[in-house]
Amino acid sequence: MAQEKSMAIPEFLSKAELLKQGAEARVYRAEFLGKPTIVKERFPKRYRHPVLDEKLTHRRTVQEVRSILRCRRAGISAPVVYFVDYTSHCIFLEEIVGSSTVRDHIASTRQSDCSNELAWLAERVGQILAKMHEEDVVHGDLTTSNMLLRHQEDGESELFLIDFGLSYISALPEDKGVDLYVLEKAFLSTHPNTETLFERLLKSYAAASKKSSAVIKKLDEVRLRGRKRSMVG
Amino acid sequence: MHVTHELELFPDHRVTQMLFKEVKNAAELRQCAVEGKIKGALINPTMLVNPFQVLVAANKAVNLQKIGKMKTRSLYSEIIFNLSPTNNISEAFKRFGSSDGDDSVLVVLVHDKDEPQLLSDITARVSGRQVPAEDVSSLTDHAKIKKLYKITPQEEKCGTLLDAVVCRMASKDIL
Repeated sequence: MAQEKSMAIPEFLSKAELLKQGAEARVYRAEFLGKPTIVKERFPKRYRHPVLDEKLTHRRTVQEVRSILRCRRAGISAPVVYFVDYTSHCIFLEEIVGSSTVRDHIASTRQSDCSNELAWLAERVGQILAKMHEEDVVHGDLTTSNMLLRHQEDGESELFLIDFGLSYISALPEDKGVDLYVLEKAFLSTHPNTETLFERLLKSYAAASKKSSAVIKKLDEVRLRGRKRSMVG
Repeated sequence: MHVTHELELFPDHRVTQMLFKEVKNAAELRQCAVEGKIKGALINPTMLVNPFQVLVAANKAVNLQKIGKMKTRSLYSEIIFNLSPTNNISEAFKRFGSSDGDDSVLVVLVHDKDEPQLLSDITARVSGRQVPAEDVSSLTDHAKIKKLYKITPQEEKCGTLLDAVVCRMASKDIL
């Protein structure tokens, strides 16, 4: 049988609701096998050589699925993967219905001035990231927009990590330190004057993991020099 | 009794699931499927958590068939293969396919809009009692599934058994 690109997925996506378009991928909402689903489509980048583009896109798709699985196995909430298509580079993920981003949550909670709740949240984020780094998953794009919060009926809320597109597996404290550094930069610029809150996050990160002291030490180094170690690229 | 779902990606394809208990002719049915007289997949329902699991397997099978990348010889064997967490075809058939001594079976059919003929053909062949396909959850062998898919207690904290199973099915070709 001739190997050809199926038109089924492009046709399906043309009827789906486009939620966001970034530099890397488009994110759609649709119903898939009867469930509310998020589809992440890594479209071809015309500015790259086709062979290189295919390779990079394929690797990122694979990496994203692997990291989600690894996190879930360790008990870290991340969306369920329903289906992956490696020809159109689409990942079909569970939609976390009724959730909001940690970013929005912090912004709205700060207006209503509930510092206790935010402190709780910062600690929770610190614990989850410590757990993720214990599994040697480096997220690569930690921001408060890539964390979702879903409030449950029992008053508890569940924290999900999303967007593992730039993630990779590494045991190096250096890589984990850079991961936290990226979050620190993003956190403090999206939420001004939250230095004490972020400190709380780091403290709970440090308390939650045995491997954390080496990472925090690296974080201090990275702060002095920036995230690029080799000064190349 | 049966459940039929449309595959949103392939709108001219429907997946129908029929569950039978107290089946007396499992060996004969399996032979028919092997010979191609039954155009469907015969699945051991104790390895299923929920009909959604079968939908995920069927959707993947149809997609791979369209792009010519199936790992097994037919759409129906591919559905059984897709349920398994490993890439070992004979083991997938052994664990997830129907065995000769089974007293229950889930029949999966992939068809276009018209189906009544197909369904009555299956019910005529199976000597057993048809029950609602959703009842598959009452036959689930949880311990066996957890062992086979290597599901840890911590993973069950962040989702259901079905979530864990579906994730493994969707990602098995890159592990």
